[in-house]
Amino acid sequence: MSLLLVIFLLELVVQLVNTIGAKTINNLLWRFYLSIPGSPLAKDFAEQRAKQKEYLQVRHDLNATSSQDEFAKWARLQRKHDKLMDELEKKKSQLDAHRTSFSRKLTIYRWILTRGMQWFLCFWFSSQPMFWLPYGWFPYWVEWLVSFPNAPMGSVSIVVWQSACSGVLALVIEAVMAVVRYTGGTGMQKQRQPVPAAGGAPGTSKKDL
Amino acid sequence: MSAAVVNVDEPEKMEPTLQSILDQRSLRWIFVGGKGGVGKTTTSCSLAIQLAKVRRSVLLLSTDPAHNLSDAFSQKFGKEARLVEGFDNLYAMEIDPNGSMQDLLAGQTGDGDAGMGGVGVMQDLAYAIPGIDEAMSFAEVLKQVNSLSYETIVFDTAPTGHTLRFLQFPTVLEKALAKVSQLSGQYGSLLNGILGGSGTLPNGQTLSDVMEKLDSLRVTISEVNAQFKDERLTTFVCVCIPEFLSLYETERMIQELANYGIDTHCIVVNQLLFPKPGSDCEQCTARRRMQKKYLDQIEELYDEEFNVVKMPLLVEEVRGKERLEKFSEMLIKPFVPPE
Repeated sequence: MSLLLVIFLLELVVQLVNTIGAKTINNLLWRFYLSIPGSPLAKDFAEQRAKQKEYLQVRHDLNATSSQDEFAKWARLQRKHDKLMDELEKKKSQLDAHRTSFSRKLTIYRWILTRGMQWFLCFWFSSQPMFWLPYGWFPYWVEWLVSFPNAPMGSVSIVVWQSACSGVLALVIEAVMAVVRYTGGTGMQKQRQPVPAAGGAPGTSKKDL
Repeated sequence: MSAAVVNVDEPEKMEPTLQSILDQRSLRWIFVGGKGGVGKTTTSCSLAIQLAKVRRSVLLLSTDPAHNLSDAFSQKFGKEARLVEGFDNLYAMEIDPNGSMQDLLAGQTGDGDAGMGGVGVMQDLAYAIPGIDEAMSFAEVLKQVNSLSYETIVFDTAPTGHTLRFLQFPTVLEKALAKVSQLSGQYGSLLNGILGGSGTLPNGQTLSDVMEKLDSLRVTISEVNAQFKDERLTTFVCVCIPEFLSLYETERMIQELANYGIDTHCIVVNQLLFPKPGSDCEQCTARRRMQKKYLDQIEELYDEEFNVVKMPLLVEEVRGKERLEKFSEMLIKPFVPPE
């Protein structure tokens, strides 16, 4: 695959991550990880869900039972309630610990695959021309600028290509977002909620990368 | 289905007496606790009287600030164990947790500077960590009692909340003290450097001195803690009356005791009303109905794991040796209501 395309795709990924938001992606991947049938955490998670359901049921029963008229039943429910609550809390802290380490790993990988990759490519192919400009079409200072920092004179350097890609992609994405927001805004009430959040995400999530 | 359940349950039903406590010769600590006014003192006195018949020596110890032992036996008791009149192996003492703390503090400086510059670091510490003062005095008392050679010690404890806090202290204090010792190990030399060459604190104690004291306290406490969590050595007798709040507190207490790992398998239900069959006392029968409701609930909830002892409400106050002895019989032989 040509380097031109690789750089473009890389920039596309970076921009998409920025738009969607690193946190959202982490959450989605975490959900996905939990729902993989074979994964060790999937069982834990399913158990947690079942416990939560049971807990709610017990709570409901507890509220429906009069402690004065049916003390024995009430006390048994209360015991069950306390036990479930304990277990749930333990499980939750376990899952949270897993989740934290999962997010940390994910952030590291994402960083290597995006920012790290960008820097590495820029460094590695810094003197390689991406493509040549037609001879004599541009003045010398333009040629110097687009070959910055050390691609041969008269060619476009990787850094310039990268920033061109990201600039264009940012514009396109912004335009798309504007359209989505507009149609969302005039559309159903339900769709309105998530859009501003997604629209606001690029600015905030840039730091996460 | 109910028939099957009954058949399974029947053999598991526990004796409605405290005989199991008398039979368990390894028991050393017996706590008697419950909400205020349910008859803890009467029950603990009665239990102590029954124990005195089968044990070499029994100490009845009250940690309730509102001392009732003196009342129950119509005899003055103090900080030292004293023989109860009419018995030759039953002793009683009343300790005030807060008072004994003052003694402890006063005792440990000893140089007569207590009046002048306070009683030193231990006191500062005592007021810095919530609850530590009570825990320290409790530990001190237990140390004393432990060194005396009573076969069984019956605690007449303060009302529920208090008791649980006492039992919880060892764990809490152990954690806190472990941290303090560790810190002093790490920064002790640094602190001594700040405090000057001799390492004396403003009131003439050395840091290592204080730390040593704390550490020995910690050791005592953890020993006591281990004993309390041993079901061969320690048990807790819950006293309640058949009313909602008392029942609620009892259930809470049983759960918390389970959390601390302290054995409990006896419940004494006090103040049961048994109006005579032909009685036209409206209040009595109404109250009897209410008690019956809660009694049924108690039986349903606890009968499989607890000795539920039912004690009647008497027409006279249970005070003095004879009445207590008579009352105590009912802990062993179930009371039969008049038909």
